[in-house]
Amino acid sequence: MKGSEKYVLGIESTAHTFGVGVASSSGRILANIRHVYKPKEGGIHPREAAQHHSQIASKAIKEALSQAGVKPQDLDGIAFSIGPGMGPCLRVGATIARALALKLRKPLLGVNHGVAHIEIGRLSTGCVDPVVLYVAGGNTLITGYMDGRYRIFGETLDIAAGNCLDVFGIKAGIGPMPAPEECARRGERFHPLPYRVKGMDVSFSGLLTAALKMLGKIRLEDLCLSLTETVYSMLTETLERALAYTEKGEILLVGGLARSMRLREMIEEMARLHGAKVYAVPPEYAGDNGAMIAWTGVLQLLAGQELRVEESRVRPRFRIDEAEAPWREAGV
Amino acid sequence: MALNVRSELIRIGAEAVISKLEWNGFKLVSKHRVPKPYRRAELDRWVRDRRTLHEAKIIMSLRRLGVPCPAVVLMDRSTATLYLQLIEGSELKKALDDLPREAIESIALRLGEMVGRMHLGRVAHGDLTTSNIILDGSGNLYLIDFGLSMVTDDLEELAVDIHLLDRSLESVHHPIRGFFMKNFLKGYSMVVGREFMLKIAEKVKEIRSRGRYVEERRKRS
Repeated sequence: MKGSEKYVLGIESTAHTFGVGVASSSGRILANIRHVYKPKEGGIHPREAAQHHSQIASKAIKEALSQAGVKPQDLDGIAFSIGPGMGPCLRVGATIARALALKLRKPLLGVNHGVAHIEIGRLSTGCVDPVVLYVAGGNTLITGYMDGRYRIFGETLDIAAGNCLDVFGIKAGIGPMPAPEECARRGERFHPLPYRVKGMDVSFSGLLTAALKMLGKIRLEDLCLSLTETVYSMLTETLERALAYTEKGEILLVGGLARSMRLREMIEEMARLHGAKVYAVPPEYAGDNGAMIAWTGVLQLLAGQELRVEESRVRPRFRIDEAEAPWREAGV
Repeated sequence: MALNVRSELIRIGAEAVISKLEWNGFKLVSKHRVPKPYRRAELDRWVRDRRTLHEAKIIMSLRRLGVPCPAVVLMDRSTATLYLQLIEGSELKKALDDLPREAIESIALRLGEMVGRMHLGRVAHGDLTTSNIILDGSGNLYLIDFGLSMVTDDLEELAVDIHLLDRSLESVHHPIRGFFMKNFLKGYSMVVGREFMLKIAEKVKEIRSRGRYVEERRKRS
């Protein structure tokens, strides 16, 4: 039997992860199941990833419900990541969520993937009103809450920071992150590479090209060191500007790259100069996951942001600053 | 400090400390790019040196293009410090409030011509707000702060200048904004030609419709 607590099931399927989570209105994460599509070689292929997701979906949902100990009819809402992400992958999650919501007659909740990364970060670290660095394979942005939504203060003008490091690692033959960072620990000599910061924006594509051109010309360890130090310094510098501009006292790191120890170390050193506190999302919620979608679904359910099925078309280019965050105004 | 003279702090910015000083009778402004302890030492030195050099080069090319801006008096690469001519005047942001309409018209026209000359030389200022335009006692205009400037063939970068200028007028000088921009574009057009002006204006519209830069840049200006 359940009391006044509300439960939401969340489905994540923006890229290579198919995740299902269950969260409750008291802020408990009851389940967090992840199945990750691993391409045999090279990068992620959207259609193959989508196939993986649809094959694993029903198993993952059963696992999540049994882990949570919640019956389908006890759920109060079905949340899914509506965007941004790869169209074919997004559509798998959306289709399943719609079917579940219709069958169980529960509210459907469309969650912005980036907002979900931030909200799980706030929930799991306890920070209140941070400047957020959201860095992952597909995203790099500096954001913070202001007047009803998460505003973008800075972002990448081309490829994501995580993408830059992953592609470099793969082409260098050592594999994606964290391999380049581990390799960098054995580096000794730093070589200058293009350092492109424009106000609070960053650009990594020229840096990636330059680093790839130097492959084989200098020690790989030194190249990894130069590349990671450059990427992290650019991120830290733009974050510093955003911190000074917003006058917020907290920094929150979310997304897969938040696991990087070196990036964290650098940001902590910067934060000390400004008396700001640094929080990083714990590793289990750093990568894409269903728990973050479920928890943001709870917030949206309580804020009355129910989605009609006919409006639930996926939004591959859904920017974080297009999503309203009414619970923030209410002080949640 | 390379120049061992008394200086007076003007502003601590995100990356540089700006001070006012007097040296052998010259009134100067120093812009010192401070070390960032979180960056690896050799990277930090390299970034600050490159930016100092870059800003000095931009100023030189602007002066060649006939765009009024403070002269570089000295560059100290060992400390990443630029010593620039002090422009005595006030930020256009503050000056605009007390000016009669005819004066505003003339300022907007001349600013349009200046920015036009800059853009013809393919230099984008990068942070063209009314805080970075100085009006001196004789009514002359100068551009300052080239920390974000670049030489570029990308029309979008040039359009961002005009967008930012427009935005900075919108937030602080709302009633005169339309009048100012109309005259600005007139002056701009006289230098770059009508066709180029229309192309840029189209880009500005596009940038505006994307909705980026709005709130955040307004508060920065």
